[in-house]
Amino acid sequence: MSQSIALRGIGKSFESFRALEGIDLSITEGEFVAIVGKSGCGKSTLLRIIAGLLEPSEGKAEVAGKPVTGPSDGIGIAFQTPVLLPWRTVEQNIRLQLEIRHLQRPDMEEELRRLIELTGLQGFEQRRPYELSGGMQQRVALCRALIHNPSLLLMDEPFGALDAMTREQLNLEIQRVWMQTGKTIVLVTHSIIEAVFLADRVVVMDARPGRITDIVDVEVARPRSFSNLSDPAFQKASNDIRMLMDAEGMTA
Amino acid sequence: MKDLLKDTLYPAAMLMLLVGAWLAGVYLLHLPPYLLPSPHDVFDRLTGDFGYLMWHSGVTTFISLAGFFLSIVIGIPLAIALVSSKILDRTLMPWLVLSQTFPKVALAPLITVWFGLGMGPKIGVTFLVAFFPVLISSVVGLRSIESEMIELADSMKASRLQKFWKFRLPMALPSIFAGIKVSVAFSIVGAVIAEWVGATQGLGYLLLQANASLDTSLLFAVLICLTVIGVVLYYSVEWLEKMMIPWHATVRLKDRL
Repeated sequence: MSQSIALRGIGKSFESFRALEGIDLSITEGEFVAIVGKSGCGKSTLLRIIAGLLEPSEGKAEVAGKPVTGPSDGIGIAFQTPVLLPWRTVEQNIRLQLEIRHLQRPDMEEELRRLIELTGLQGFEQRRPYELSGGMQQRVALCRALIHNPSLLLMDEPFGALDAMTREQLNLEIQRVWMQTGKTIVLVTHSIIEAVFLADRVVVMDARPGRITDIVDVEVARPRSFSNLSDPAFQKASNDIRMLMDAEGMTA
Repeated sequence: MKDLLKDTLYPAAMLMLLVGAWLAGVYLLHLPPYLLPSPHDVFDRLTGDFGYLMWHSGVTTFISLAGFFLSIVIGIPLAIALVSSKILDRTLMPWLVLSQTFPKVALAPLITVWFGLGMGPKIGVTFLVAFFPVLISSVVGLRSIESEMIELADSMKASRLQKFWKFRLPMALPSIFAGIKVSVAFSIVGAVIAEWVGATQGLGYLLLQANASLDTSLLFAVLICLTVIGVVLYYSVEWLEKMMIPWHATVRLKDRL
C-alpha cells in the first residue's frame, strides 16, 4: 500500500497565533483516520492544509506522492455545514462539482445515480435544500464530495450539528461508502465515539500550539455496528483517547 | 386563491377606514374645500381630468423608470467593481458616501442650470436619488458570502468567473433585490423633485401648479396618481423577485414570517 498523505514538520501561524506545530503524520492509501481534539487544537486547520486550501507556514505536505500546492482533483471535501446552493435541486447541487471541474460526461450520470442510491437520496433528486432535513443535506454534500471520484475524502465535523440518531445512521453510511469504494478518509470530529467507531487510527491532538499527542489504533473488525460498542477493543480505544485528553487537562 | 383574498381584503379594509376618516374629517369638522376636499370632489377630478392626469403620469413614470433602470445598470456593476478591487473601493467609496450625505434635492437646481430643462437632467436627478440603495445592498450582498462556500468553490478549483457567476452573484441576489425595492420607491421621489425644478409637464409640475392656485382637489388627484405609480412599480419589482429567487426565505416564507 502506498502513502496517501505524508506530513512532515507542518507548522502554521496566523500572525502571532500558533495554530499548529511539528505535525508529522503518514496515512496509507485506503486508510480511515479520525482526528480528535478540543476546539482550537488546529484539527480543521490541518485538514485545510491537506486539502490545499491553506498553506502551511513551515513543513512539507504531500498527497498521493505529490507536494500540495493547492486544491487538487483527487480530493473531495465535506464541510461542517452542507453549503448547498439554495437555488439548485439535490441533483444540481451534486452536479455542481462536475460543472466547475468540466467533468460532465455520460458515465458521470451513472455515478450520480449510484451515489444517490448509496446515500438513500432516491426520490429527493428534484427537491431543494430547504425541503430537506439536516441529515439529508449532509448526504447531498457527501455525494457532491464523491461525484468526481476522488481517492481522498476529507470531512470536517460534517455531523456535528445533527441529532444523535441521524448521526449514527450517517456514520453507518460513511462506513458503507468507505468499504465499498476503498477511499482514503480523514475525518475531523470532536466525538470520541464517532472517531472510534469509524477509524482505523485515531489521531489525538491538543491545543496551544496545535500538535499531535498520540495516535490510537482501533483494532475492531469491519463492518462495525453500534450494538457492539461494548466490545473490549472499542472500550480500550475510547479509554486510551479519553486518558490522552485528560492528561492534557481537558476534563477534571 | 385564499392568499389572494387575504392579500387584497386587508389592504381594502384599511382603505375603507382611511376614506371613512377622510369623510368624517370633511363633514364633521366642516373643513373648507381648499384645506381638505371631499373624497367625491377628488374622484370627480380624477375622472373629469383623466386624460390630462394620465399624460402627466406617463411623463413622471417615464422619468422614474429611466432613472431607476440607470440605477440598476450603473449601481450593480459599480458594486461588482468595488467588491473586486480594493483600490477602487478605497478611492470611490468615501466619495459615494459623501454624495449621499448632502441633500440631493439641493443639487436639482444646479443640474437644471448646467444641463437645461430636458428629460436628460431629470433622469439624472432621479438616478442620483435612487442609485445608492442598489449600490450599497449589492456591495453588502456580494461581500456576505460564507467562508465555507468560498472554500467549497476553491476546493473545486473554480475560476474567478465561475466563483462570481455560480456562487457570489446568485447568493447576493436577495440583498440586491432588497436594495432595488428601496430604489424603485426613491425613483418616484427623484422624478417629482426633478419636475419641481423647472418643468412644463409631469406630476411634479402639476403639484406645483395646483399648490400655487390652492387647487386642493387637483393636488389630491396628483397624490393618488403618484401612489398608484409607486405601488405598481414596487409590486412589479416584487413579482420579478419572486420569479428570480423563489428559493429565498423572504419569498418562500412570506406568509409565515
